[in-house]
Formats: sequence, structure tokens, C-alpha cells
Amino acid sequence: MKRFSKIYIAFILLILFAPIAVMAFFSFNAGESTAVFTGFSLRWYKELFRNSNILNALKNSLILALTSSVLATVIGTMAAFGIHHTKNKKVKGAIMGITNVPLMNPEIITGISMMFLFVFVGGLIGLSTKLNFGTMLIAHVTFSLPYVILNVLPKFRQMDKSLPEAALDLGCTPLQSFFKVQLPAVLPGILTGLIMSFTLSLDDFVISYFTSGTDFQTLPILIYGMTKKSVKPTLYALSALMFLIILVLLLISNREKSTAERMEAKRLKAEKRRKEAILRAQKSGKAPRKEKADETKATAPSHNRPIYLNKIIALVCVVAIIITACVAVSITSRQTITLNVYNWGEYISDGYDGSLDVNRAFEEYCKNELGMNVKVNYLTYDSNEDLYAKLSTEAVSYDVIIPSDYMIARLANEGLLEELDFDNIPNYEECIGEEFRGLYYDPENKYSVPYTYGMVGVIYDANIVDEADTGDWDLMWNSKYSGKILQFNNSRDAFGTAIYKLGLDVNTTDAAAWDAALTELKAQKPMLKKLVMDEIYNMMETGEAAISSYYAGDYLTMVDNQAENVDLQFYYPENTNLFIDAMCIPKGAQNKSLAEVYINFMLSREAAVANAEYICYASPNSLVRNDETYIEDMGEEAIEILYPEDFDFAKEYDANCYKDLDPTTKEYINNLWNDYKLYHNTIPAEGEEESTSPNVTWLSITILILFIICIVTIVSIIIIKRRKKHKI
Amino acid sequence: MTGARKYNGPRRSALQRFAAAPHIAWAVLFVIAPLIFVAYYAFTNSADGSFTMANIAAFFTKEYLLIFWRSVKLAFFATLICLLLGYPTAYFISRCKPGTQKILIVLLMLPMWTNFLIRTYSIMTLLQDTGILNSLLGAIGIKPLSIIGTETAVVIGMVYDYLPYMILPIYSVMSKMDHRLIEAASDLGCNGFQVLKKVIIPLSISGVISGITMVFVPSISTFYISQKLGGPSTLLIGDVIEQQYTASNYNMVASLSFVLMVILIVGLAIVNHYTDSDDGGGMLI
Repeated sequence: MKRFSKIYIAFILLILFAPIAVMAFFSFNAGESTAVFTGFSLRWYKELFRNSNILNALKNSLILALTSSVLATVIGTMAAFGIHHTKNKKVKGAIMGITNVPLMNPEIITGISMMFLFVFVGGLIGLSTKLNFGTMLIAHVTFSLPYVILNVLPKFRQMDKSLPEAALDLGCTPLQSFFKVQLPAVLPGILTGLIMSFTLSLDDFVISYFTSGTDFQTLPILIYGMTKKSVKPTLYALSALMFLIILVLLLISNREKSTAERMEAKRLKAEKRRKEAILRAQKSGKAPRKEKADETKATAPSHNRPIYLNKIIALVCVVAIIITACVAVSITSRQTITLNVYNWGEYISDGYDGSLDVNRAFEEYCKNELGMNVKVNYLTYDSNEDLYAKLSTEAVSYDVIIPSDYMIARLANEGLLEELDFDNIPNYEECIGEEFRGLYYDPENKYSVPYTYGMVGVIYDANIVDEADTGDWDLMWNSKYSGKILQFNNSRDAFGTAIYKLGLDVNTTDAAAWDAALTELKAQKPMLKKLVMDEIYNMMETGEAAISSYYAGDYLTMVDNQAENVDLQFYYPENTNLFIDAMCIPKGAQNKSLAEVYINFMLSREAAVANAEYICYASPNSLVRNDETYIEDMGEEAIEILYPEDFDFAKEYDANCYKDLDPTTKEYINNLWNDYKLYHNTIPAEGEEESTSPNVTWLSITILILFIICIVTIVSIIIIKRRKKHKI
Repeated sequence: MTGARKYNGPRRSALQRFAAAPHIAWAVLFVIAPLIFVAYYAFTNSADGSFTMANIAAFFTKEYLLIFWRSVKLAFFATLICLLLGYPTAYFISRCKPGTQKILIVLLMLPMWTNFLIRTYSIMTLLQDTGILNSLLGAIGIKPLSIIGTETAVVIGMVYDYLPYMILPIYSVMSKMDHRLIEAASDLGCNGFQVLKKVIIPLSISGVISGITMVFVPSISTFYISQKLGGPSTLLIGDVIEQQYTASNYNMVASLSFVLMVILIVGLAIVNHYTDSDDGGGMLI
């Protein structure tokens, strides 16, 4: 039995630690993969300390955790004191009830409910940015408070009630009695509460996700964004380091604790001996002189201990306050302008692997050339639709955005874009060729400056997919490769693939055409591995998936990073989407002129070439197209894919771009997309169609009703039993 | 008049009276008010803010019920597996020497200190088709498993992420349990099973119940785990809420949250009837 229990505990610990061990192991990987180990190196740790995004988020997280935990501890301790002294049982119960709500509610509901409050009240007061550091601070204090109270309250209960009374009798004011007598008695509880709320705040993702705005990103939020893309072992290095720090801290605190406990045990033992001695003495009638000396010696440490603890706590508090004050001062006094840039994921040269970090270069440029302290706050979105959702709620504000053509048209129509002042963008004249001007989405060149363009194609793994099956859109629907296919996780592109497969017009307003596309997509859904956007990199590169349609430029990135047993190939189906992504300034931008300087900087040779080489999309910038090192670096094959010869851009673009559709059609597609996302069906066996789905629903409804009936019966039984008890 | 009053201890000072006021104000503003907003948005439409039942009614359609059913099912299995794995663990730990117990508890809590997003991602790299598990299996010569994207993978993720939440409350109750009771029971002729049924389980039930809530509630409302480990057909209620949030479809978000909240409140109220012992023995830490 003993041995079995040991093995069992070891097994559970093994399960719990396996993923962490994997993580720590791969943080030393020489390669980029988080699944294939290619050799030992420390490069990811170096990369980590060079990554200003991560370090900045870490700083933000610490600031937030510190301020919120201190605030929660102060309010919570006062509350525990008040609750402890509340005599009325009903009032007490009510307060405890409210206190427990955030503990009982799922995090997602706490987060969402606070988001509603902030958005609504923010709209009432008329703030342009409703979600920011303040809202996150409020949210974090709110979910930390119950933990502080639940840790402090029992300490008040355990405290000898006569102590504060004695203090009052001896002439203390209530305030003095609180600080001199009660506070030291409950200090351990306060400390535990403080530490718990600090760590909870540091680790919180769900509530932060719903209450965070643009200018304040914490580490978990950043990590969430990063795990949506191809995760580099940098993240693993970060977690391994944090794990190590926590391990060391825990070991130290545990050691301290156990020394304290040993002393306590010693004291108890001495006390016991003393009592026995007194008993013996009483029996024999002698005064226990020798033991008395022993007693003072043994109890001495126990008297010292709280004082020693007090000092540490005082020190911790002082340090905390100093740091908070410094941070507060630095936040208010720093004359830095923040430029909020909102872009697609993996869509800028970010200094990774020796490339130019364009945002840092821009900050340098502002400092040296313009004498301004500028901080680029770079955030990413997954799709045009996500961008639109964020912009339309006005809960956040951005300075530069990079949407695609049809979205620019929509934003411009709805008055969500600022007109650009081209005096601030002198590079435009020189860089942007005639074919990229005056296109349908911005006929008067008022709102946008082209950033990249490209076409959608089909990527496949030649090791799995038969060459004969390739060439058109049907490959995405080929049941031979069921479970290996990926589809776009945004409505326009996903419907686009189905419409092209059917040979229809992608800008049709005919509802029947969209219905037909939905049917196609639904038929494809059981064969899909996942709906993806930026996650595609990882899944295609490692061979998790074998077929997907995506943007041509991203194929080139994937080829560079593909695993050994993967052989990615690419083709353009006969009809396919052609898109342009362009830089715009949304309405409500805080720094419009600086945003224009940023756009101008993006057009400069250095930044544009770095971006084009990093993201591998075709560039509308003539400086890039004529740059010899660029052509050399990209290689012949890439140039051929990006800039096909004999390609009549204007004609192709006109035929195959996504246009901004009329509101009714947009609404219709949106509903179909919702329908598609919720749709669930297992792979139908041949000949048998959808016969299982009604059964499943009826079954589930019946079970749900049964479930509700069960709950009702249990509740009534409990109530009846309680009544009976009361009667007795 | 004062003479007739029963002595109730010293009169409460102003400090004692109003110390809880900031907390109460905070809770009303930032806990109660937001929940009212959820209800408000759940019953209004987005166009002109007038009253409607359409959002709530949308929940009771085939698609949403299926998703809700799946959430309940997966959370139920995750909780069950956590209980089956966690209960013996807590028991065995509580039987260890005090020093060992402390070390083991620290070890159990350590994984919780690593960000849960990264832990979940790391599970994904373990389970995926080209992942570590399959390459290990391949090395032994077993056919690779295709776990990722299935409901099994989501349950594995939930169990892994929330197992400590099950073990710790049960342990904290068991460590306070008087082990002489077990000895007494076996001295009085109980066999191992009877000891378990008549002594250990009744004494640890409050820990079990708080463990169950602490696993079930986050499991049923998760979206990250199903996003990473699930596929296009393992959508959970949390996923739908998150999707609607990203699409800024606030009224639908509110109605889904509202329904979820009401159901959980009813569930928790039932659970609380079993555990209204005020010692808080099942609380974590």
C-alpha cells in the first residue's frame, strides 16, 4: 500500500510536470520548432532579452500586479475588520454574499460584465478610449478582493477578542488599538492575501482579455496573441525563467517557514515541559527554579519572531510603495508620445533573426530627426472583420491601421477614416506607382497608402498530396485528405474559396450564390483540421496539416521554416482573389500628424525593403521593386510567385478583388458565417446524409430537460428536508 | 433606556462601523452593477436598445443547445476524471509525514504558477499529430494517434489545467482529519472499503464539493483550451462567447453569459446547501 501510494503520487506529479519539462527542454532548442529538437543553444534566451515587446509587457504586468494587490489588500483588510465587527448576522451574510460573487462566477462572466460596465459608462461620459490601465486595475482589484478578505477574516476571528478591548481600556484610541494590537495579529493573513492577489493578477488572462485596451498590454495578453501565431521558443524561455524564479522563491520561503515552525515546535515542547514541571512542583511543593531559566531561553525566539517578520513585511511594503510611486511619477512625468499601430499578425519586420526592427528604427528616427520621444505601441489583429469590430465599438483608439481594400472602402463609407495630409507623406509621390492609385476602394487617393498586395493561392505538402489532385480549388474539398485541410477563419476569405470553387462572382449580391457557398463550406467542415489565421504557419510548417489556401507571401515564409519531412508547394488556381492592404488613419486617432510621419517612414527604402523581405508579400513600392539586394535575397522562384510575368494588374484586380458589398448582403453573409461556425456534423458515411443530426439534437434536448428536472427535484428535496428539520 | 439594553460588548467605534464601506461600495459598483449590465444587454436589441427576448430565444435553438450540451458533457467528464485522479492523490499525500506533505503540496502548486496559456500550448505540442507523444509512440513502433482536435484532447487539457484545483481543497480537508478515526473504524471491524465509505468520504465531502465546483466552473466556461486543443467541431459555450465578443456582437455575448450565469448560480446554490459549514475548510490554501 505504502509503495503503491508513492508510485501513484509520482505518477500524478509526472503528469503535471511533463508539459513543463517539455517547455523547459525546448527553450534550449537550437532550431525554431517547439516540437523537434535540433540541438542545444541559448539563442532564445538572448532573443528574449532583446524582445522589447515581451519585456515591456512584463513591466506592465508587474506594475499592474503591484498596484492592484496593494490596493486590494488595503481595501480588503479594512473590509475584513469591518465585517468582523458587524454584529447583525443578516448584514454580515449579505456582505459576505457580495464578496463571494467574483469567486463563484466563471472568470469569463466577470470579465464580460466589467467590459459592459466600462464600455457603457465610458460611452456615457464620452471618453474616447474606454479600456485602459485604469479599467484593468479596477478589474484586478475586484477579483483579488475576495481572496484578501477570505485570508484576513479568519485571522480576526482567531484573535483574542479581549486584546483590542484591553488596548482601549489602557487608553488607546480606536485607531491606535487597530494599528498597535489588531493589525500585527492579523498580519500573516494580510501577507498571504497580498501575495495571492499579486500572483493572481500576474497570471490572469481571461478577465484581462475582456477589460484591456490598446495602450496597456500585460504578459498573458501578449502570450495569447503570440500563441495565435507560430510560437517561437522565446516564450518557452520566458516561462522557464519565470518558473525557475518562482521555484527559488518558494524554496526560500518554505525554508524560512520551516525554521520558524521548528522554533515554534521547540517552544511548545518547552511549554509542555514547563507545565509538567509546575505540576511536579505543585506535587512536591517546591518552586521550579531551574526550569524557569530554561523557559525564558526557549520562548525567547518566539517573541523575536514576529518582530523579525514585521521588519521584513515593513521592508516589503516600503519597497512596494516606492516602486509604485516611481512608476506613477514616471508615467505622469514622461513626455513620451505613444503611437498605436494596429496591424495584421506577422506583418512587419520586427528585428527577429537579424532583420531590421522597423518600429524601433522609427522611434530612433523620431528621436534623432524630430527630437521627439515616441513609443510605438504595436498591436495585431487576425482579420479585417476583427479590425472592423474593434474600430466600430470605439472602445479603443488607434493611430495607424492596415486593412485590406474592401475594408478600406467600408470604413471610408462609414466615415471611420481620416483624410490623409499628403504634405506629411512626401515619399508617396516617388514610391507608389500609377497602377496602385485611384483604385475602387479609394478613388480619390484620400485615405490610404498601399502597403502590400498579393494573391490567394493553395499551399500543399507534396509529401502527402498527390500531384494529380492539385491545380484547382477542388483540392480543398478532396475527402482523400480529410483531417489535413485548413480553412480561413474569416468570413470573406472562407466564402471566397467556396465561391471560386463554384465558379461564381465573389462580389455577387445574389443570396442564392452565398447559400450555395455555405453548403459547400458545410460539406467541407467535417474534413477540416481547424479554422486558422496566423496559426497556419505552425501547422503547415510542422506537417500538422497538408492543404490550405492562404496568401502567397506567407507561403514563402513557410517554405523557409518548414520541417525536414515537409515539402510545401504552391499554386494559383485559375480564379483567385487579388488584394491590396493599405495604411490608413482611423477617426479618433490621437496623433494624426505623427501617424502620417510613420506612414511616410514605412515608404522609405530602408523600412520598405526590410518589411518586404520579412513578410514576403509583393510590394507596391517602386523603391523595393527596383532594389537589387531585395531581388537577390528573395530568389528567382519567390519573385516569380510574387510578381508573375505578363500580369495585367489593373485588369486582374478589377475582376478579382473583394468589393465592399451592400449592407444587406454583408449582414446576410455575416449571419451565414455565424451559422457556419456553429454548424457541427460528423463525416457522413457514403449514401447516408445528415440522418444523425436531428437524432443528436433531440437526444440532447431530452437530456437537458432531464437535467433540469433533476436539479428541480434535488432542490425541492433539500427544501423539504430543511423544513422537516426546522419542525423537529 | 440604555440601562434596559442588554450588554453587547463595547459600542462599535466609527472606524469599526465604516471600515467595510469602501469594499461594499466597490463591490456594488464593480460586481453587482456589471451583472445588471449583462442582464440589460441580454434583454435589449443592438439597434435601438428596446426590450427583446430574441437574444435569449436564440440560445434555445438547435445549434446553441448542442454546444451547451457539449460544454456540460466535457466539463462533467473533466471533473469526474479530476475527482478520480485527485481524490486518491489527496488521500495519499495526507498520509505522508508532515515535512513530505509540505514539499508535495508545493510541487502540486508549482505548475499553477506557470502561465496557463503556455501550459496549454505545451500540451498541444505534446498531443499534436507530429508532436512528441506520437514521435515517442513511433519510436516504439505504435501507430500514431490522432488526438488533437477531438473532444478527448479538450478533456485532457481541462484535466491537466485544473487537477490541482481538485487536489488542494480535498487535501486541505483531509489534512485536518483525525486519522485516529480511521484506526478506530478498522479496530471496530470495518474493512478497507467500509472505512472509506463510512469514515473518509463523509469527513472529506466538503473538500470534494469545493473541488468539484473549482474544476467544473472554469471547465464549462473555458475558451482557450478548446481553441488550442479542439478542432472546428469542438466549439464550447466559452468559444461562442469569445467569438461573439471579437465580432462585437454584444447583445449575444450578454445573453449567452446571462444564461450560463443563471444555470451556474442554480447549480452552485444546490451545492452550497450541502456545504454551509462555515469553517471554509474547502477553501484553497
